Amino acid sequence: MNNSRVLIIIFAVFMLVTILVVRLANIQLIKSEEYSYYAIQQQTDVEKIEADFGLIYDRENNLLVYNRNDVTFYADLAMLPLSKRELIAEKFSKVIGKPKSFFLNLLKGKKGTITLAKKVTSEQLKSLGNLKIQGLYYKDDPTRINHYGNLASHLLGYINKEHRPVSGVTEFFRKEIEGIDGSRKIVKNAIGELVSIEEDETQPAIPGSDLVLTINKDYQSVLEEELRKGLEKFKAQSATGIIMNPNTGEILALANIDDYDPNFYWQYNDFQRRNRAITDTYEPGSTFKPFTLAALLDKKLCSPAENLYLENGTYTFNNVKIRDTHPHKYLNVSEIIEQSSNIGIAKLAQRISDDEFYKYLRGFGFGNLTSVQLPGEAAGKIKKPNDWSKISKAYMSFGYEISVTPLQLITAFSALINGGILYEPQLLLKRINHNGELEFEFEPKPVRRVVSEQTSVLMKNILRGVVKNGTGKNADVEFISIGGKTGTSQKLVDGSYSKAQYNSSFIGFFPVEDPQIVCLILFNSPDVGKYGGLVAAPVFKSVAARIIEKDFNKFEKYIDESFKQKLLFTSLEKEKSFFDSDQIKIKEVKLPADKRMPDLINCSARDAMNALTRMGIKYKIKGSGIVVNQSIEPGSKISSNEICILNCAEVTITGVSVY
Amino acid sequence: MRIDYKISDKFDFKIFIPVLILTIIGLAAVYSSTLNNPQATDNFERQLLFTLVAYVVFFITYALPTNTFKLISGPSYIFALLLLVVVLIAGKRVSGAKSWLAFGSIGFQPSEFAKIATILLLANFLTRLNNNIDSFKDILISLMIGFIPVGLIMLEPDMGTSFIFISFILIILFWKGISLLGLFVVLSPGFVAIASLFGSVPFIASLVVVLVVLFFFKRDLFFNGSVFAINLAAGFFTDNLYNALSPHQQARIKSFIDPMSDPLGSGYNSIQAMVAIGSGGLFGKGYLQGNQTQLQYIPEQWTDFIYCAIGEEFGFIGAMTVLSLFLIIFIRLLNIASTSKDEFLSIVVIGIFGVYFTHFLINVGMVIGILPIIGVPLPFVSYGGSSMLLNMFMLGIVLNIFRTRKNYA
Repeated sequence: MNNSRVLIIIFAVFMLVTILVVRLANIQLIKSEEYSYYAIQQQTDVEKIEADFGLIYDRENNLLVYNRNDVTFYADLAMLPLSKRELIAEKFSKVIGKPKSFFLNLLKGKKGTITLAKKVTSEQLKSLGNLKIQGLYYKDDPTRINHYGNLASHLLGYINKEHRPVSGVTEFFRKEIEGIDGSRKIVKNAIGELVSIEEDETQPAIPGSDLVLTINKDYQSVLEEELRKGLEKFKAQSATGIIMNPNTGEILALANIDDYDPNFYWQYNDFQRRNRAITDTYEPGSTFKPFTLAALLDKKLCSPAENLYLENGTYTFNNVKIRDTHPHKYLNVSEIIEQSSNIGIAKLAQRISDDEFYKYLRGFGFGNLTSVQLPGEAAGKIKKPNDWSKISKAYMSFGYEISVTPLQLITAFSALINGGILYEPQLLLKRINHNGELEFEFEPKPVRRVVSEQTSVLMKNILRGVVKNGTGKNADVEFISIGGKTGTSQKLVDGSYSKAQYNSSFIGFFPVEDPQIVCLILFNSPDVGKYGGLVAAPVFKSVAARIIEKDFNKFEKYIDESFKQKLLFTSLEKEKSFFDSDQIKIKEVKLPADKRMPDLINCSARDAMNALTRMGIKYKIKGSGIVVNQSIEPGSKISSNEICILNCAEVTITGVSVY
Repeated sequence: MRIDYKISDKFDFKIFIPVLILTIIGLAAVYSSTLNNPQATDNFERQLLFTLVAYVVFFITYALPTNTFKLISGPSYIFALLLLVVVLIAGKRVSGAKSWLAFGSIGFQPSEFAKIATILLLANFLTRLNNNIDSFKDILISLMIGFIPVGLIMLEPDMGTSFIFISFILIILFWKGISLLGLFVVLSPGFVAIASLFGSVPFIASLVVVLVVLFFFKRDLFFNGSVFAINLAAGFFTDNLYNALSPHQQARIKSFIDPMSDPLGSGYNSIQAMVAIGSGGLFGKGYLQGNQTQLQYIPEQWTDFIYCAIGEEFGFIGAMTVLSLFLIIFIRLLNIASTSKDEFLSIVVIGIFGVYFTHFLINVGMVIGILPIIGVPLPFVSYGGSSMLLNMFMLGIVLNIFRTRKNYA
């Protein structure tokens, strides 16, 4: 029946199915790639893996700056069930310490993603427990931690909220410390949840290199403490101190008080954050006299024993009166420095030609950048002989009409006492990449010979005299020979020399016979006392004494037998407290001679892995950070098939995360 | 007549085997699409149970005496209407439509049962001795039998099912031998109505086509005038109906006209389904390997969008296999319908063919983006108990008719 209608229906069925087939072929065969691309686009995401910044150590391997594994919590309010909000607020309030109402307030809305809690530490994360609630998630948000707060803040710098390195070595070595960001491909589902990570398309981040600085944490803290004490005692505006090794240019400590805490950098003003030791210049005053004298001695234009008439305290030179604080009739050249006579040095300076004098000053590096590895250095100012007035040379001879940075001064002073060679000041002892390979190792960088060795020897003795007999008596300690020079310069305020504001400074070194340490102490506008000999010299003395105590082994050979017992006793006391302090000391791996298990506890996981690989020991690392436990006892023989399990923790005994 | 005792003479494997394969593919696809979805963890087990029950129903139906179907046509139709009224009063609302009757944890859609009840009664009416399909009165009664349930279903409102009803009613009328003019009178308002959805220019164009066709039939002015008036009314009525629709239904129609107009809203399902199928390519991504499916980019994929899970994981070859199986079933149904000696049974088979075919066409068409998303499942494949039960029941009727075809010589 109905044959024609059957045919019509069959025809229609075939037509319609053909349309479906054509459409299917179009989608699945012709446009397949387009749709596949679209599918991959929406299903996958390339996520940046931020590289860890390198760590910063001091020269004794004390960890100064590290990254803490913080996370930031977010809540997608459209997804977050209303019933769970109370619970979330309660938990967060308990763990983070803000009131519950604060979190409830944040969770009020119905749309959008909010930041619930920033910088949640891994301990807090653990206490929050298993909070698997739809719409609540967290992301890594590492925090840069300067472990000792203010310590060496001007040298270390910080990472700002935009993840940019700012100030200090952090900024100067930004390329090395930043590392290279990686990326990974993630697969996400329709509501944007991460489902899996495509391992073979993951480009791991390469962590930045670690910096080992030339500074010594103990020296640094001594310097800062003493400057702080001095600042309070003398009611000065600010203070700067630098400790260097005069023979290599290594900066051992550098501090400016007031300073700042890089962990909370935003709470401080620009002055507090500025490394004034390299950015601010001042007229050095009497601490400059040794450079003038060195030039004269080097040119053999005078001798230390030569006597000079000192005009009884007031000398009119080219219609300008030059005065001494303490009037003298006659002093020899050594005594001129000891007593810091302006008249004496001004008279002596007339013996050297302008060009020669200028050449020497330039030779010491004045008016040039020291090229220290820190950002923002100022060059200071030294006029060319053509621009000098008739009195310029006289003024310059005792440290006026010339501006220097504290770092320039100590760098030049080092050349004066180390045998006559100017070294570039340096801050970086080692740079170690993430594989533990040494990328950079310190080497002294001699710039030039400035004065002869004989001149340097003469200068050391004269400067010893300053401390022994002259204005620097307050810097003297009994057990080691100290040399140095005081400086008191009127500050230039609005173009004229102030009678009320001074820069009081002392630059000294020890031991005189073989200088190991040179140290500059500078107080800006002290209210109590003004002379460098009264303000800066005693601070120098405390710094020197405490450094020697802390680093007794190094200085032992320079110390008179009679004082050793006394000092040993005090330094042992210090040693005890040293272990109590909360410093993070990461041990270096010491490889045993034969094939025995090394002691890896308290070594970094990275070092431990390197050591075990080198020794051909199989290992398994659990966790990350510092080794807290090893499955094979140190010193035991190793059989080839044994696997050493290293338990690592980011939490050290002091409860601080390190990675 | 020679009596064939071979089992293939009593049981049509040419339909049964494709259906069996389709239900297996369906179960596999439901498993795949619910595997990673926490909202649908036990859907596979439920569907497996539905399928087993449906096969039992199928064999029972197959074994019934064939004249049962004619006998129950009247009572079952009344029962179906009753259920449709009850569901409007006491039904459960699922995604906008009040189409479910809940018995504890088991839900049932009366509109599914109404399909076969309507087919049976319509077939019964059209095969009365004095029936003349081209008489205005009989067309009207036929349309009434068909459109009473349609009206009730539209009130739910379930546009997809209403459209299925309209389609198979027209196919039955066509099969019964309605004249081209009669068919035109029945069809043209729908044509104009759809055209009016696309804007005023297609609306006017469709009216012009109607005028041309009317001129071609050379009937009197009164007839032409009244048909044209009905068409005009259909167009305006659709426009009003469209405005009366709920916003999400309007959005669905709009997004069909241009899916990219709202890619995250109504067009989302359509785009994601096409992306799933398209990215499957020739051979597919492999079973349980389709990312679109496994990452739940298509909401409730196991029901109306199951075809794109097949398309993604088994590719063009898998999609074509499903199409081919359906094509075999359709051809076989048409063959049984046209060779059946009894007109009632022939119309029942063609009605069942209409239900299967329109479901298939609309479902596949909407999944591959050539028809709007109107929520129609793919027979034998999609997740859903009522639809599986009804489809297997109807298949039982078809095979029952095949079993006894020689008795009606």
